[in-house]
Amino acid sequence: MKIIECRDISKMYFRQKALEQLTFSIEENKITGLIGRNGAGKTTLLKLISGFIKPTAGEIKVFSEQPFNNLFVSANSILVDDSMSFPAALNLGDIMDAAAAFYSNWHQPLAEGLLDYFSLEKYKYHNRLSKGQTSTFNMIIGLASRCPLTLFDEPTIGMDAAVRKDFYRALLKDYLAFPRTIVLSSHHLEEIEHLLEDVLLIKNGQCLLHLPIYDVKEMMISVEGKLAIADQVLQEKEIIYEQSIGTNHVHRVLLREEASVEELQGAERMGLKIRPVNASDACVYLTDKGKGVIDDVFNKN
Amino acid sequence: MMSLIKTDLVKVLKMQYLFKFKANIDVFSSLIGIQLLAVLFSFGGFYHSTHGWGMVINLQQYSANIVICFTFIWALITAITITTKPYRHYDFTFVTNRLSSSLSNILFLLTVSVLGSITAMLSSNLIKFIVYMFLDDSIVLFKQPFFDFFTGMITTSLYTFLFCSIGYLVGAFIQYHKGFSVVIPVLFMGLLIFDGMTMNSTTITGFTEFYIKESNPFYFLLKTILMSSLVLTAAISIFNHLEVER
Repeated sequence: MKIIECRDISKMYFRQKALEQLTFSIEENKITGLIGRNGAGKTTLLKLISGFIKPTAGEIKVFSEQPFNNLFVSANSILVDDSMSFPAALNLGDIMDAAAAFYSNWHQPLAEGLLDYFSLEKYKYHNRLSKGQTSTFNMIIGLASRCPLTLFDEPTIGMDAAVRKDFYRALLKDYLAFPRTIVLSSHHLEEIEHLLEDVLLIKNGQCLLHLPIYDVKEMMISVEGKLAIADQVLQEKEIIYEQSIGTNHVHRVLLREEASVEELQGAERMGLKIRPVNASDACVYLTDKGKGVIDDVFNKN
Repeated sequence: MMSLIKTDLVKVLKMQYLFKFKANIDVFSSLIGIQLLAVLFSFGGFYHSTHGWGMVINLQQYSANIVICFTFIWALITAITITTKPYRHYDFTFVTNRLSSSLSNILFLLTVSVLGSITAMLSSNLIKFIVYMFLDDSIVLFKQPFFDFFTGMITTSLYTFLFCSIGYLVGAFIQYHKGFSVVIPVLFMGLLIFDGMTMNSTTITGFTEFYIKESNPFYFLLKTILMSSLVLTAAISIFNHLEVER
């Protein structure tokens, strides 16, 4: 069953395109990573899915219904981000009680356990929490509400490394105990790739790829070595990314399908280093803005 | 597969209504604050003086009129406040759609209007008691028949709710476009001045007289309820299109 279906959705903000003709669908009970550079449209997409905003064009269906102004979609989904709004008059315990009333799958033991583990006291107020604590608390609300569709938008903002690690583990454990559809947007693909089944990569408001994480890991290879040899071996091959190392060494990235196994073995014999490219770097190369590398900015001056 | 949760408007409304009492607790503290301030202002009373047949009669009248006026202002401000972004976005953290958010707000406003009116009406006794005890023991207390208190309470509630409704619509306009936060006060003051200059009650004053001069309780009831529902329907339809930009 398809939980989210988007067909040609576009969203304009004051004549500026945030999303452009995005088409994809997400299956039930999968953890999908929503990956993209800053300003690619990740947050806009998640807000469309939760029915906070309306698409300018195209059709979006969540649980086979339009999400905007839809009680059914609202009851079955939750969007967790750092700007979740809670009344200033309620302390953390009160907020949890409210969430328990609204979300019928709410699991109080989990919420209390996590709250205790992350040393957040019930009598504290949400607006007095630090950035990392706010993210942690919001994450607890998101996990414990056990919504059939759980959306996390940059959930780890401000969390320290230990808490981030714990969060991913908690997410995975609770997902296994209570499978549901999860969309997780993040800049740190290398941190979440062990959780993900699928990756949805967007660039400039468009869907660049939607593949299982395994395929993304296998997608590219990097070649490193002397410039002359690299030029000789890689001629007529499409280079995705290139970086010079010193004056006569070079680092190039290409799609694995561009080169055959024999060619690669030959290249290695000639002294080039061939390495797989991890999923995180692959996504960075794919979403490259075509302005070269950061070094170029400094080389000009 | 995980079973999806079925829900209906009435269930969500009930939860949101209860939630709003906890979330908007500061509405009640501001009510108490503003009414106590009004009680303080009421100690002056209204002074009447007449003379004739060789006598001078000085009459000092103590009433809850100021408290009621302050309650109206409080109602207007409260209604505008709960339309602002942070208040609207609480709902969207949990389960809601725009209709249920507005309807639960309206139910909340109706409840606080009735509560505010009851305390405003009761404050008249407090004022008279304090004046008698501490300020002016020559006071003559008039007994207030329960029926008068009852009709007074209903009328005050309706007026207060009307102010809430107007505040809610004003808030809706401001949320639709920030420019209305300038346009509406300017329009209001301008029309008042216009009425004053033409010595004619056509716009704002005409609208006020339409309610104040109505002596038939049934028509009054009809007028306020119709007006409130008209104003609130307009507000709901504005909110129905607003996006959540948190």
